[in-house]
Amino acid sequence: MAPKPMLPELMQAHGISRRGFLKYCASLTSLMALPPLMAPRVAHALETAARPSVIWLSFQECTGCTESLTRSHSPTIEDLIFNAVSLDYHHTLQAASGHAAEAAREQAMKDHWGKYLLVVDGSIPVGNPGFSCIAGISNLDMLKETAAGAAAIVSVGTCAAFGGIPHADPNPTGAVAVSEIITDKPIINVPGCPPIPVVMSGVLAHFLTFGIPALDELGRPKAFYGETIHDRCYRRPFYDKGLFAEGFDDEGAREGWCLYKLGCKGPTTKSVCATVKWNNGTSFPIEAGHPCLGCTEPDFWDNGGFYKPLSVPAGDYRKYGLAAIGAGAVAGVAGAALARAGKARAAAAHENVDAHDLEK
Amino acid sequence: MTATLERGLNALREQIDAPVASFFSSCVSCGLCAEACIFYRETEDPKYTPIRKLDLLRRIWKSEYTLFGRIANMFGLMPKVTEADLTAWEELVYDSCTMCGRCTLVCPVGNDLTMMIRKMREGMSAAGHAPTELVGAAGRHADFGSPMGELHPALHAQIKHAEKETGIPIEMDKAGADYMVLLSAQEIAEYPDVLAAMSRIFKKAGITWTISNDGFEATNVGIQLGNRDVARTLVTRVVEAAEKLGVKGVISPECGHAYQALRWEGPNLIGRPYKFEVVHIIELLDHLRAEGKLKTKGKDTTKVTFHDPCQINRRGGINREPRNLMHMVASNFVETDDAGTMNWCCSGGGGVGANERATDLRFKAFNRKKAQFEKVAPDKIVTMCAYCHHTLEEQLEEHNMDIEVQGLTELIGEYLDDE
Repeated sequence: MAPKPMLPELMQAHGISRRGFLKYCASLTSLMALPPLMAPRVAHALETAARPSVIWLSFQECTGCTESLTRSHSPTIEDLIFNAVSLDYHHTLQAASGHAAEAAREQAMKDHWGKYLLVVDGSIPVGNPGFSCIAGISNLDMLKETAAGAAAIVSVGTCAAFGGIPHADPNPTGAVAVSEIITDKPIINVPGCPPIPVVMSGVLAHFLTFGIPALDELGRPKAFYGETIHDRCYRRPFYDKGLFAEGFDDEGAREGWCLYKLGCKGPTTKSVCATVKWNNGTSFPIEAGHPCLGCTEPDFWDNGGFYKPLSVPAGDYRKYGLAAIGAGAVAGVAGAALARAGKARAAAAHENVDAHDLEK
Repeated sequence: MTATLERGLNALREQIDAPVASFFSSCVSCGLCAEACIFYRETEDPKYTPIRKLDLLRRIWKSEYTLFGRIANMFGLMPKVTEADLTAWEELVYDSCTMCGRCTLVCPVGNDLTMMIRKMREGMSAAGHAPTELVGAAGRHADFGSPMGELHPALHAQIKHAEKETGIPIEMDKAGADYMVLLSAQEIAEYPDVLAAMSRIFKKAGITWTISNDGFEATNVGIQLGNRDVARTLVTRVVEAAEKLGVKGVISPECGHAYQALRWEGPNLIGRPYKFEVVHIIELLDHLRAEGKLKTKGKDTTKVTFHDPCQINRRGGINREPRNLMHMVASNFVETDDAGTMNWCCSGGGGVGANERATDLRFKAFNRKKAQFEKVAPDKIVTMCAYCHHTLEEQLEEHNMDIEVQGLTELIGEYLDDE
């Protein structure tokens, strides 16, 4: 295999100046919540990175994550960072197919055993592993086999991180997240449907330069998933003033008021959408006038409807609530009737006590 | 028929009602009632925690009136209340509770613990677990009209004595008088001077009054025993006597539980409203004072303090009245700590004072009151309950404290301006 070109050469080939590269390193540094002094180290690390081997496995997914990373606004520096790794297997992007493709994966695993980075998008069906196979190998077997020699795993997208849409009720394939199958490797969850491109490339850059970033309780890098969208939303002042859009075509909607009552999940969703935004920083869903769906959170598809305000409980609560009230009322009335009957019996059994009748 | 366990348990079942159920359900086990109880505070023995004294009642409620308790009971998981339990609880229900009502007042969820002790006593007395002294008093009261036995001769002698002292005749069984006066046995036997004081005060105020031979005894041992059948029998005598004479009011004397019995429990016991009003003597005196019909001359210049009887102040609502009167006749009136509605009990109420078995505990419980009196160091303690009066004298003697005790009516009588 011919040695692949290093990043400076690639930059030149793409017509990106060194100044542009350093600007990118600085913005990436701030995005990763690292001190500004770290920017030169980021640049140095990216320039001299050993281009680790990356194997990208796609399971039950829609390819949206790959689209987000590679096609959204190419060519970009994110794209370039992607080139800073040696992508040895990615069945959407690679030219090889069939046995040759699988042979490439096996070769990469053999050459870089214990050192390669495994990226997964899509969930894994465990109801019947045969529901999703690649080259005759079930997703479950391929994940286990490939994860065994990985240095770390990045679960890209909500499907790989939390099960995502395949996992949504009634979950016909028994889809699960990577973390429910692999428990002995470090796993970085980068949820989102899809994740923001710069978040994906930022996580990769962090892994290349400083290793695994600090993660929250759901395995998400704190730098990108530390705050809710609500906390950073430009419509937050309207929420604080109690100004809400009640419909998509009312005065509030036209005035750009808070979308909380239209079901916005921003208050419970952690992501940098409101600051980094999408499409080269153009906009994000709330800015486009639609409530946040909460796609970076587990089970976002099952949280009771996208247009139901957060304060309305999810699930079939009315039926169960009514049943519980009914059962409680029946039990209460029956209990009271029994107690009354007991007391009436006691009153009937009362024998008048005389003052001379107080001793045994 | 004699007292049996089953009769006692049945009485407890009868006593459980919606308030009891809500009280037991809402108890948060905070223990504040322990801090409010004089017997717990002076012994620091957790068994005297008021809510614990009610545990047998709670067990019956739980096993027979709650859904989960019934289910547990079906599987034999709820321990039955036994004769041994009742024996063990005698001390908790009768010896270490004067039904002073302090615990009820501090309970953060508003549980009326005192009322539940009263209910517990229904079961205890029906099962034959009441103190023998109270049982004996009940028999005497039923047979002779007073817990001390036959008091008619003593009453007549005291009336004669008062008439001689004041020169004002006291007419017994006088129909159509304004008020029928009740007396407690304690007053007839120990503090008869109150008769002369009332006679002079009422003469001056232009009030007609009488005493009935059929119902002069104010006390009601049925209330202390906690037996509503006995209590009803005794209160009925007073009600019938008053209605026979057609008086417009009955004066409850300086006696704590007598006021409870006639004013609050009586109509519930007989199941109808009275045809007369019940007024406490101090309530009436303060009313006369406000109307200008009670005037005094001169003041007691020694240092005096006031002891609030639990049943009349905390549980009876008469708090301001005695103070108005005290200021009329005492120039150096000093209150003790916690005076008023949160006053500490003299430790003799609720039948505890009559209970020999409780003597040592009672002396110990008085230490709190003793410390409060020592802080004020009064020359005289005034009160408005003859039994508090009796208990204070006994306790002061036991604790070697030389302080005079006096009833408020008697004190007012001393300074009455009846010229």
